[in-house]
Amino acid sequence: MEKILQKKSFPKWLEKLEAYEIYAPVKNDSSWSYEAINNPSDIDLDFPNTVQAPKTIINPQREIFLEFCRSEDNTLEIHEVLPEEKPGVIFGVRPCDAKALTLTDLVCSGDVKDEYYGRRRRQTAIVGLSCNTPPSPNCFCVSVDGSPHSEEGFDILMTDLGDRYFVKSLTKKGKELIDLGKTLFTAPKESDKKELKKVHTESEKKLKRQIRDVEKIPPKLKEMFESSFWDEEAMSCLRCGICTYLCPTCHCFDIFDEVTSVAPFKGYRVRTWDNCQFPDFTMHSSGHNPRPDKASRLRQRIMHKYQYFVERYGHYQCTGCGRCVSRCPVGIDIIEVLNKVRDYG
Amino acid sequence: MAEEFEPKIVAFLCKWCSSAGSDLAGVSRMEYPPNVIPIQVMCSGSVSPLYILSAFKKGADGVLVSGCHPGDCHYIKGNFYARRRIALVKELLEYMGFDPERFQMSWVSAAEGLKYTEIIKDFVNTLKPLGPQTKLRRNP
Amino acid sequence: MVKLEDLKKEAQRILKSGKVKYIIGYAEGTNSFMPVPVFIKDPEGVEKLIWNPACVHNLTKFIVDEKKRIKQDKNPDERAIGIIVKGCDSRAINVLLQEKYIDREDVYLMGVSCEQTGVVDEKKLTKKLKGESIDHVDFEDDGNFVVTTEKGKTKIPAEEVLADRCIECKANFPVIFDIVFGEKIKKRVDEPFRSVEKIESLPKKDRWKFWEEELSKCIRCYACRSVCPMCYCDECVVDTISFAVEPDTTAEEKAQKIKWIEKSPDLSENIVYHLTRAIHLAGRCIDCGECERVCPLEIPIRFLNKKMEKEAKDLFDYEVGFDPDQPSLVSSFKDEDPEDFIR
Repeated sequence: MEKILQKKSFPKWLEKLEAYEIYAPVKNDSSWSYEAINNPSDIDLDFPNTVQAPKTIINPQREIFLEFCRSEDNTLEIHEVLPEEKPGVIFGVRPCDAKALTLTDLVCSGDVKDEYYGRRRRQTAIVGLSCNTPPSPNCFCVSVDGSPHSEEGFDILMTDLGDRYFVKSLTKKGKELIDLGKTLFTAPKESDKKELKKVHTESEKKLKRQIRDVEKIPPKLKEMFESSFWDEEAMSCLRCGICTYLCPTCHCFDIFDEVTSVAPFKGYRVRTWDNCQFPDFTMHSSGHNPRPDKASRLRQRIMHKYQYFVERYGHYQCTGCGRCVSRCPVGIDIIEVLNKVRDYG
Repeated sequence: MAEEFEPKIVAFLCKWCSSAGSDLAGVSRMEYPPNVIPIQVMCSGSVSPLYILSAFKKGADGVLVSGCHPGDCHYIKGNFYARRRIALVKELLEYMGFDPERFQMSWVSAAEGLKYTEIIKDFVNTLKPLGPQTKLRRNP
Repeated sequence: MVKLEDLKKEAQRILKSGKVKYIIGYAEGTNSFMPVPVFIKDPEGVEKLIWNPACVHNLTKFIVDEKKRIKQDKNPDERAIGIIVKGCDSRAINVLLQEKYIDREDVYLMGVSCEQTGVVDEKKLTKKLKGESIDHVDFEDDGNFVVTTEKGKTKIPAEEVLADRCIECKANFPVIFDIVFGEKIKKRVDEPFRSVEKIESLPKKDRWKFWEEELSKCIRCYACRSVCPMCYCDECVVDTISFAVEPDTTAEEKAQKIKWIEKSPDLSENIVYHLTRAIHLAGRCIDCGECERVCPLEIPIRFLNKKMEKEAKDLFDYEVGFDPDQPSLVSSFKDEDPEDFIR
């Protein structure tokens, strides 16, 4: 279903969505983040991209699994804590971040189902905003089978056409959302459709960076496992962990028990994000660590994205959002590294 | 009628002077409020900022660090180091906007049982109007 | 002006002499005008070296990293490492020498002077140029910066885009070096702790609100700790990323290992982490500003460490990083240390 929504009617549409928990980009000083919205005027859809991907909403950094406490008669009580059942909508998601969710689905809702992730995923609609200009000078979605106007992973895709949005519903959930704001939407004219096509075609040409011949990379990576290439590339890595925490497709986690009160005894079994760039990530209880050095950890990250995931699921696990490139304190550039890998030897 | 708020004070007392001073107060049957949780450390110089922050995180309403008078330290210099380190912790907590009255330091010798009781009495009276400490406390 | 050709020549000379195993310097980045650290082993590679106002990184962290890495080498190359240091970085070297983490012979210091200015703050510069794509930033003789964008060259007064730490800096010329490039120009710093005083002047309620808001954002990525040259502990006491476990560590030891803070990014855990780190850096932090630059959530971490630097000066008359032979702040004392807060 294709519709037109005037920009000034956008807040009115949000008012009709009271039954949903709305998340959207909010400006903080010089950067943006996805926050729960109480007031539609807080939303800023004129944004490049957020610092943290919307995975913070679907896969939050801290999640409680169980709650345990000792009751008055000294028995240990354990309660399961499931995500709150409240339908949500995330507005302003970029195509790279939405595609990242579909890739994480392969792992978390594939053969083995992560019920916590699954619940949040099922009850949250993803409304996208296509990228008329690249949000970042380091975007390279086209190189990894993506596009600035890709529909993968969206319930609705919106495109900014100046004073109005071209709104395309792609799923049943998307249609329901549009139906709630029925009178605010109009049918698109031929000129709207032409403008949309023009904006989309031009947006693909504006990306400044690319990985050429990316399909040559997975087999090359396999050959290069023992190579000293990784020692050279990882020399300036500070193992700070920013690349992994900001990456929209990274989803590794750690589970442990937190006792927050000793008397009365109370605690939680908690899941938090973990980071393969931390030295402790692969520490065994025997004291052995198979990845003790930065080179092996950098190699792990790149091979996971561009070789292991490809072999297992047939897709690159990177959607080209460019966050790791922009935010690395020492400028380790995954695009450069991969271009070097392709030409190695 | 609402129960009056009883502040919880965690006191790090050095074994050789302050802890002995608090023992003297007990043995002499001096009365003082029961709000203190005494923790004996070997020397006030061994009190790490982590102990203090951890006490506040776990819900302490007030923290006291007490050691020997300058010149009397059993380990000669420990309390001089404590004087420096606790000053830094105090400044930092105040900089954060934390109530400065909640964190105190004192010199209490093994003979100063009375001084110890007075310190605790005054501390409890200072903390009662401030209410429970919520800023650094980990919500259970 | 620092002459880049002289820098390159010296780098080539010292590499050819074989006295250093490599040189750490700055090279062109691949994705923006910000440079990246580079490790040059071949004398021909010195062509990659650059020097411009965007060279903000503190390269001394790599000396620390190398010191740790080399313990695992079977045939370690124990030659010195050549490193390009600005004034602030040289203070970091002094602190490492003071704490005997490195020996003087481990480093060959090629100092560069910031002269009248300093380095840029990337965010301030991008904001000033309103999103124009920046190609290059260079020093000008008259204390300004020249920015090259897609539209051409623009001159910008340095004080509009200088990093905050440079405005409060006391060491615009390296305090320790083997060879130095650029002139020593005395800089008057009227308000060395302006940023800290601004927060101190707020009423208590506003101060707490400020810190609560900032530290709630923290995702505990530990980038601030990873980039700091002074955070070199193998096992960080406040949050272990490398718990030193041996094959003969008993299960009891592992189970009873004290966990000071939990892994989850709760506000109170974040506060304990940041405050502990600030206190552990009291008398050691030289305000290179890297912690604040790398923070993905733009938390003003520098304000905490700078406060400790101010107190070290005000309370104990202690200056960090100018003298490699002075004792450390927290394991020394003076009879005159203030004790008016002690009952």
